Amino acid sequence: MTVKKGATAMKLKAQWNSVWLNVFGILIACAALFPLVWMFIAGFKEKTEVLATPFKFLPDRWLITNYTGILEDADFIRSMLLTLGGAVLFALLSLAINSMGAYVFARLEFRFKRFMWLYVIMSMFIPGMAILLTSFIVVTKLHMLDTLAVLILPGVASAGHMFFIRQFYLNVPIALEEAARIDGATRFRIFLSVFVPMSYPVFVIVGIGSYLGYWNSFVWPTMTITNTHLFQIMQYLATFRSERGSEMGLLMAGSALAAVPTILLFLLTQKYIMRGIKISGLK
Amino acid sequence: MSKKNYRFDNATAYMMLTPIVVLLTIFVVIPFIYAVRVSFYDWSFYQDSVFVGMRNFTNVLTDDLFLKSVGVGLKFAILVVPAQMVLAFLFAHVIKGMGSKLAGFVKTAIYIPTIISGIIASIIFVFIFDYSAGIANYVIGLFGAEPQAWLAEVRTALASIALPAVWLGFGLTTLIMLAGLLDIPESYYEAADLEGAGSFAKMRFITLPLMRNVILFLLVTGFTGALQQFELPLIMTNGGPLNETTTPNLYIFNHFRNDVLVGNSIASALLLFVVLGSISAVIFKVLNSEKAVDG
Repeated sequence: MTVKKGATAMKLKAQWNSVWLNVFGILIACAALFPLVWMFIAGFKEKTEVLATPFKFLPDRWLITNYTGILEDADFIRSMLLTLGGAVLFALLSLAINSMGAYVFARLEFRFKRFMWLYVIMSMFIPGMAILLTSFIVVTKLHMLDTLAVLILPGVASAGHMFFIRQFYLNVPIALEEAARIDGATRFRIFLSVFVPMSYPVFVIVGIGSYLGYWNSFVWPTMTITNTHLFQIMQYLATFRSERGSEMGLLMAGSALAAVPTILLFLLTQKYIMRGIKISGLK
Repeated sequence: MSKKNYRFDNATAYMMLTPIVVLLTIFVVIPFIYAVRVSFYDWSFYQDSVFVGMRNFTNVLTDDLFLKSVGVGLKFAILVVPAQMVLAFLFAHVIKGMGSKLAGFVKTAIYIPTIISGIIASIIFVFIFDYSAGIANYVIGLFGAEPQAWLAEVRTALASIALPAVWLGFGLTTLIMLAGLLDIPESYYEAADLEGAGSFAKMRFITLPLMRNVILFLLVTGFTGALQQFELPLIMTNGGPLNETTTPNLYIFNHFRNDVLVGNSIASALLLFVVLGSISAVIFKVLNSEKAVDG
């Protein structure tokens, strides 16, 4: 009897604990999302109301004029589309270039392999700031300023991404490619028909990583793009803030819309990304 | 000779390596070698460069602003990293104890800030810290405190930039910690329960020792990341007030923008590279060697 009573009490206590944990967890989630939610809501406010005193979370009247207004701004739309196109191209090129490197280092034997490996990996330890100015000089000499190429080519080869994909390829069973080898397929053929199709979990992670790197980049576009018709989205927002900062509702709406593609992409692929976090954290 | 080369695939290997190697050479290796060279010269866009030996480095190391920026970087890292680690450790435990459906939602929610750009975060947090209408002053007002000029005062500016940095980074840190927690076999805790161990003892003797590598990894990556932060201060305070938020990278970046003599700034960037590069090389070595042991 007492034993049973004790067990019920423990069970109750455990349930009570898990209620508290759930409440606390939801509070954490709300705190994490709060700044973004505030931004989306501020996009519905009159421009004087964004910073009305005293602080108010919800608008008096929900206006959609900020969102429609920013969507009618040709510069905003252009920089959104340009950045989106650039980011997709960047991600695809990054996958192509880095996965080829990954396959070669994971599977092929060739002369000077060790030297080539060190050469590529070494580049991972050079912080961007150390070469920011000299990279700028290099792209200036190559006449790449104010082109899409200057945004894409310099960052697309990445030893880090190559390394991540290689770790995945190292675990692919040899037997899978033996069959193809016996059929007389070339190494490149094997890469395309055996490795690429099974790479989607790792490709999603690296692809999203590259996409985000491009979408969120600010300093490099600021240095290399001066033609306002080629402005990238973060550049557009920062410029908007310093030049038309008083139009706060518009700024909030624009920032909110600029975050939408990223958030959507993450929600669509989060299964893979969560798995990727597990790998990167533990190994 | 041809026999020896039989299982070598030189042609394919080099063909497939060409893109990555060529791009890295043009956009990373050449700029790096160039930067090393320039750091020994009195160099400018407009005149011939003059070899000056170590002068750029001694200039930088005696520049009060640079030394101050290193101090600011360290202070910033100390504000961000421990807070982030403690929160992540706590939150990871909370999520582990939650029902799986809700936990999925919370994981998604805390990861979203991680993918938001520093620019958007800066725009939001400048409003949050607004003197007359920001939520920060509203909240402390509820407790009867006087409003603060968060971003303009020496006392609060750096901490006010640390907050968005924590916001941007804690989600990923939590999820990596959670992965580490879930990797610890439940049977260890059950055995400890049978021995009558309390929560503290379990934490001290099971969780922390087994999480050592994950925590170390997060500490070091968090620290190097925080030291390199400069988008937040660039947009939120532009390094002010009185350079209190000029992090090392912002110092270097400002010099790139303003100086005609760039030898100094490149020298400081390289000094930073030596420190950060060697830290990350050590992490990489450790992680990579463990991988090899795991097979």
